[in-house]
Amino acid sequence: MEKSTKVKFNQIRIPALARVEGHGNITVEVLKGKVKDVKLNIPEGPRLFESLVIGKTPEEATSIVPRICAICSVSHRYAAIRAFERALNYKETKATHQLRTLMHYGEMIESHALHAFALALPDFVGYPSAIAMVDKFAPQILKALKLKKFGNLVMEVTNARWTHGENATVGGFGLAPTHKQLFDIKWQAQELIADAEEMVELLRNLSYPTSMEDGIVFMCLKPPTDQYGFVGDRVLISTGEEHPIEKYKELSNERVVEHSTSKRCRYNDRPYVVGALARMNLLGERLRGRAGECFKRCYSLSWIRNPLYGNLAQAIEILYSLEHIPQLIDSILKKIKTLETDAKIQKQPTGTGKNVGAVEAPRGTLYHYYEVNRGIVTGANLVIPTTQNFDSMETHIRVAAQNLLANIENKPLAALTAQERKDIELIFEMIVRSYDPCISCSVHMVEVK
Amino acid sequence: MNKPKVGFYNLSGCSGCLLTILNCENQLLDVFNGAEVVSFLMAQSNNVEKELDIAFIDGSVTTDEQEEFLHELRPRTKKVVCLGSCSCYGGVQAMENEKGTWLKRFNKVYGKKPFKVVKPFESKPVDAFIPVDYYLPGCPIDADQFLYNYARLLRGLPADVPKTPVCLECKWHENECLLLKDKLCLGPVTSAGCKAKCPSHNLPCIGCFGPADESNLTSEFSLLKEKGYTFPEIERKLRLFGGVKFIKQFKSLWKKAQK
Repeated sequence: MEKSTKVKFNQIRIPALARVEGHGNITVEVLKGKVKDVKLNIPEGPRLFESLVIGKTPEEATSIVPRICAICSVSHRYAAIRAFERALNYKETKATHQLRTLMHYGEMIESHALHAFALALPDFVGYPSAIAMVDKFAPQILKALKLKKFGNLVMEVTNARWTHGENATVGGFGLAPTHKQLFDIKWQAQELIADAEEMVELLRNLSYPTSMEDGIVFMCLKPPTDQYGFVGDRVLISTGEEHPIEKYKELSNERVVEHSTSKRCRYNDRPYVVGALARMNLLGERLRGRAGECFKRCYSLSWIRNPLYGNLAQAIEILYSLEHIPQLIDSILKKIKTLETDAKIQKQPTGTGKNVGAVEAPRGTLYHYYEVNRGIVTGANLVIPTTQNFDSMETHIRVAAQNLLANIENKPLAALTAQERKDIELIFEMIVRSYDPCISCSVHMVEVK
Repeated sequence: MNKPKVGFYNLSGCSGCLLTILNCENQLLDVFNGAEVVSFLMAQSNNVEKELDIAFIDGSVTTDEQEEFLHELRPRTKKVVCLGSCSCYGGVQAMENEKGTWLKRFNKVYGKKPFKVVKPFESKPVDAFIPVDYYLPGCPIDADQFLYNYARLLRGLPADVPKTPVCLECKWHENECLLLKDKLCLGPVTSAGCKAKCPSHNLPCIGCFGPADESNLTSEFSLLKEKGYTFPEIERKLRLFGGVKFIKQFKSLWKKAQK
């Protein structure tokens, strides 16, 4: 549905990126065999979210921000809750924290299963969609759908709906899940571990194109314990640095570019990457159990240069989440009576304060910052994973374009055969898809006061 | 018999309604096999734009490019169906509409530099530009309601969406009424279809399915007023998902109450 602008003779253009969330297109300009310009254009319509939360209560803001993006709605809600609770001095009880962790695992499983198996995998096996793959890969696709369905079930039980559930609130939960619901999840998680491991193997045995390989700087949140995890108040960088999340502005350095309604980020003037691949590179050594074994089996030095391994990293995170659910549920069940639900929730947040809260969304580190004055939001700033990844996507497209054109002796674009052009375009699309971009999310996140 | 040709499109929104379709894991193959899905950018890459029997639209209209697309789509499509509160009412991004603050808010977010990629404007529902045949509201839509209506539409039957408010579904769940607990619940004026998810979790309805056809705004209003809620508080809640649809009626009620 994007305008079909005529492709210039010295351009490779992908007018509408398919199998991603939102709208984007790619233009690569080549001059005398050299890649002159790479643009990942984002024409996504603006919705001005940051201005919508101003003048609302924290409770209303917590309902508004998940609508930024359906695929990471739980992460947005969780990041907002963490920011408001840090700003207004709430104490998170252990049971509440664990139920939130379970909810977060649900989103990781659902979002990763959708992306790694239904959106990214078809490229590797030469199909236009996961549905079309059913011809030849029916058992695998059914397993992928089972995993995805399970992730949705976890979100429904903990947060009341698959998407945009309202049960998790500032202070706790509206209603605690029943023992039966939790037992059911525990049982299903145990059943699915074997399927998840099989999907890891499927992705491990694919052949990964290498034309886009280039050194990457990674960032992710540092879990408070020495285990793997998806929340934290400190940021790890692959350069060996560590910073508190309060420094999120210095870490992301958002800037406006002309060809996109989304901002761009750099750290120390270099693109950086967040998401499952970043977490695996920075925290993978911490994995235990089958996920740990899979990590050892799959990991190689290509993982620090090749974004396509993000898909495999996601599959291992599905396995990690499934393996942790049974013990997490046992622990929740022991304390379920202490869970902060409706009646016990500390009343409506009416205080004053400001702070940042961060979680790892499936596609990377998500920061929410709010200022609250007597129970009304007066300032907001959100930094989104996909915004942080855009510069790296352009870098890897540039490297791939240069290498792929060199492979065919840098012949002028006009002389490319249809097949050669198609092959190059596919690699560009695979690069962008491997970051699991969530383009609705990435658009228009800037500070408003 | 030829399968009906359908397309799924996404304008400005969170893609949650299209995601809800992809979340129907058990029925997904039937959704794709029951019709010829010629365009679904989020799910497949072999999309073709041609004559359609049914177009499903997720998201609201916020750019000139999307407006042009709707005018191009309508003449080649037999039935246009709005999926979700964004395409039906303008969505959460329309909550501040008609206050005359859009340009100010836009400049605050993006700065005054003109946009190169698209020309943006205040979020509007699809029917502000083209005639719409059916509306399936919700933020996001309910999967069962979608599947039921998808099956009807593929058979050439009209959509069947409840006209009743959330209260009815809430009563079916035998929940204790949150209004009686003095909570600002929009259940009495909000369209049913969500299975009363929020009230069933002790949480007041936030109105994400938009205005119900058979609702009694007058009595909801006087009830809330009795409970001590102020005009700005009630208006803010009504605007969250209903955009400006409620507001005119609401303002006249408020004027009457002041006299």
